[in-house]
Amino acid sequence: MEELDGEPTVTLIPGVNSQKKQMCFDWGPGEMLVCETSFNKKEKSDMMPGCPFIHIIRKNEDVYSQILRKLFNESHGIFVGLQRIEEELTGKSRKAQLVRVSKNYRSVIRACLEEMHQLAIAGKDPASDRQFSIQVSSLSAMELIWNLCEILFIEVAPAGPLLLHLLDWVQLHVCEVDSLSADVLGSENPSKHERFWNLPGNTQTLTELELKWQHWHEGCERHLQDGTFASSPHLESLCKIMLGDEAALLEQKELLSNWYHFLVTRLLYSHPTVKPMDLHFYAQSSLDLFLGGESSPEPLDNILMAAFEFDIHQVIKECSIALSNWWFVAHLTDLLDHCKLLQSHNLYFGSNMREFLLLEYASGLFAHHSLWQLGVDYFDYCPELGRVSLELHIERIPLSTEQKALKVLRVCEQRQMTEQVRSICKILAMKAVRNNRLGSALSWSIRAKDAAFATLVSDRFLRDYCERGCFSDLDLIDNLGPAMMLSDRLTFLGKYREFHRLYGEKRFVDAASLLLSLMTSQIAPRTFWMTLLTDALPLLEQKQVIFSAEQTYELMRCLEDLTSGRPVRGEPDAQQLQDDDVETTKVEMLRLALARNLARSIVKEGSLEGS
Amino acid sequence: MVSVINTVDTSHEDMIHDAQMDYYGTRLATCSSDRSVKIFDVRNGGQILIADLRGHEGPVWQVAWAHPMYGNVLASCSYDRKVIIWKEENGTWEKTHEHTGHDSSVNSVCWAPHDYGLILACGSSDGAISLLTYSGLGQWEVKKINSAHTIGCNAVSWAPAVVPGSLIDQPSGQKPNYIKKFASGGCDNLIKLWKEEEDGQWKEEQKLEAHSDWVRDVAWAPSIGLPTSTIASCSQDGRVFIWTCDDASGNAWSPKLLHKFNDVVWHVSWSITANILAVSGGDNKVTLWKESVDGQWVCISDVNKGQGSVSTSVTEGQQNEQ
Repeated sequence: MEELDGEPTVTLIPGVNSQKKQMCFDWGPGEMLVCETSFNKKEKSDMMPGCPFIHIIRKNEDVYSQILRKLFNESHGIFVGLQRIEEELTGKSRKAQLVRVSKNYRSVIRACLEEMHQLAIAGKDPASDRQFSIQVSSLSAMELIWNLCEILFIEVAPAGPLLLHLLDWVQLHVCEVDSLSADVLGSENPSKHERFWNLPGNTQTLTELELKWQHWHEGCERHLQDGTFASSPHLESLCKIMLGDEAALLEQKELLSNWYHFLVTRLLYSHPTVKPMDLHFYAQSSLDLFLGGESSPEPLDNILMAAFEFDIHQVIKECSIALSNWWFVAHLTDLLDHCKLLQSHNLYFGSNMREFLLLEYASGLFAHHSLWQLGVDYFDYCPELGRVSLELHIERIPLSTEQKALKVLRVCEQRQMTEQVRSICKILAMKAVRNNRLGSALSWSIRAKDAAFATLVSDRFLRDYCERGCFSDLDLIDNLGPAMMLSDRLTFLGKYREFHRLYGEKRFVDAASLLLSLMTSQIAPRTFWMTLLTDALPLLEQKQVIFSAEQTYELMRCLEDLTSGRPVRGEPDAQQLQDDDVETTKVEMLRLALARNLARSIVKEGSLEGS
Repeated sequence: MVSVINTVDTSHEDMIHDAQMDYYGTRLATCSSDRSVKIFDVRNGGQILIADLRGHEGPVWQVAWAHPMYGNVLASCSYDRKVIIWKEENGTWEKTHEHTGHDSSVNSVCWAPHDYGLILACGSSDGAISLLTYSGLGQWEVKKINSAHTIGCNAVSWAPAVVPGSLIDQPSGQKPNYIKKFASGGCDNLIKLWKEEEDGQWKEEQKLEAHSDWVRDVAWAPSIGLPTSTIASCSQDGRVFIWTCDDASGNAWSPKLLHKFNDVVWHVSWSITANILAVSGGDNKVTLWKESVDGQWVCISDVNKGQGSVSTSVTEGQQNEQ
């Protein structure tokens, strides 16, 4: 079991401090709420009235930074690309490709850094300048660390090239200090070395190079001993430096901005063929010498030291602590995982550090109104808890516009998250019903495949029709297609509308058959039968006979069924029908019309049949 | 790093007892000893008072938001023995229902998973738990479990909905048969698990005993797709227990002591992905806990109210608390 270190840090919430008060806490979907309270419930609070403030706290506030957004967006592209090419990464080219990915990440950080730097020096106002400056140093540190990790862990530079990479690293990050001398110190000697190394098409072995360097080194020493430079202390000092004399180097401390610059310079002059596994000795002593016991190492120093010690887990852990968001550790760890450098056991909080960090990072993205879309992809690549985390987070995205709702739904549908689709559609459907947008409500319930709700909305449509005499959202109902089968009531609604259409097209016989079938097949709710029968009236009173005798008998049966039938809850019972004058008149009219139609149809059919 | 992104001035004239974010984190409901319930729109770091709801005649202890599919619905419970359900209609908030079936202070309200419909559980100092079910057209049906806990019930918390079999092929219009369960904590030092029977009656399914003093809060963890069920409980005795049940039939619950605090622990709550438990204690602190791979619960942070305006960075570093 991993050793734990340090107490959990305490976060202080600014507010009135009273020894007697306690803190009330709640989780929001993406944040935390705290407020002062007193848990000891008494009817009267006999202490001072409480503090009326509620503090909303969040982690990962960086999500809201405009410039970092670019970082999140572009790194997302790199991340997804990396996951996708995983299968194709084989053999010798694998390392090269992974290094390329690493460089891509770094260039994104640098672009962001550059932009933020511009803003910091733009001089808008001191507060935001300061904010940007802090961000700049944070990003700068990230690039520094990532670069070192790339050299040591991904590139896995062997002795020889190792130092050159480290030189580049130092030059890139340190020589931003505008000090001419530093440049001189840094650049003068590598050029001398270039003559030795001759990298492109270098055919010398490491041993040969070492011998050459030894020879040169001894030559320098002899000059020093012989006092060749005795007349010029400056030249002598320079010679000592070239021999890697630590004291001499430290004399030029102001030119060396930090201990790792000192380290690399020192190695350059004393151990240019340093092996990776020996790095940490020199690193530790460089740090100690440079600090000289005056100050203690800062978090960044510890991270770099852990890297020099090739302790990847320590690097990740320290970075998680020191940096303000999960972006860095999530992406770096994922990349290192692809390099097969992470052990998968003995880790806290999940069996897989990569997944843990990705989950934390992605969860943070969901707090943002549009970055959540990036988060989806990260969850997709977390095999253990990615799906369920996505399910829990995606339902909490506020569906402020229809467009956003559709985006969210598409994400769920693509992943067969049927529960979430249903839930979201239901929320939207109910909102639509409350705002009387029945067509919208119907489409949402169809999308949710929610039969019960479709029935509810269909009932509303029918009720509206009864009240107003016409349908709303005809387009939708006319084009239901197979969705009509979702619920009986919806099917009825669709068919009933079809009846109206047929009637409008004067296809009376078809309309009549449909109308009858709606009742006989029991699709029509009994509460609607009166309306249907009333709809039959104009058909019964047409010049031509539309309903056949058989059909007329059926209609009569339906009418009798309705008027004399057993009263069912919610339906107008026979008594009600009798009592209501309007209803009575209607029934009378129907009976008359049916009887007349029956007579005419019998005659018509009788006369068609020849004897 | 944790930072305060917004401070809402509720203007409550007395102690605040509860504050709850709605489902999407866009609205905040608060309740207070000043007898009012207030609702704020807190989008984009702002704070706009949407409603100042009056109706209770005593300190209001808790508020709870219903699932958004039912619209904007909020429940509140109070010392005045009443539970009030508020609803937003056409842009204004109004009292939509008042439940007066208790003889004593109602301490806790909790909405059931939305899959079950609109159902509210209420726990009261009269020892009873009532369940209000919305049956349509402004009507609420009440079921009461009398003497659920002797002396009083302090907290109620619903189990997450378990999807029975396949929901996809349900015959149209029919509701699937969920097994509804919830947990309650009371002054009898017990946590009880309740299950709805076929006939619609609620039966006590389990008694969880481990606390030696009044149980102040229970919280059933959200489901993360694993077969395990988890409940957190805290008590006057300063202990917080994590109860887990691996059994599919839900019968074998075993407690694990998270920590013994030096003071009463009042409140426990789970983050939405159930990976962090927040514990509010009498010692002016809120501690956050996470479970490690080997099953140990580890404190990852202390959130403390205090003076000064600096928020220090919170580490995800770990400390093993025994």
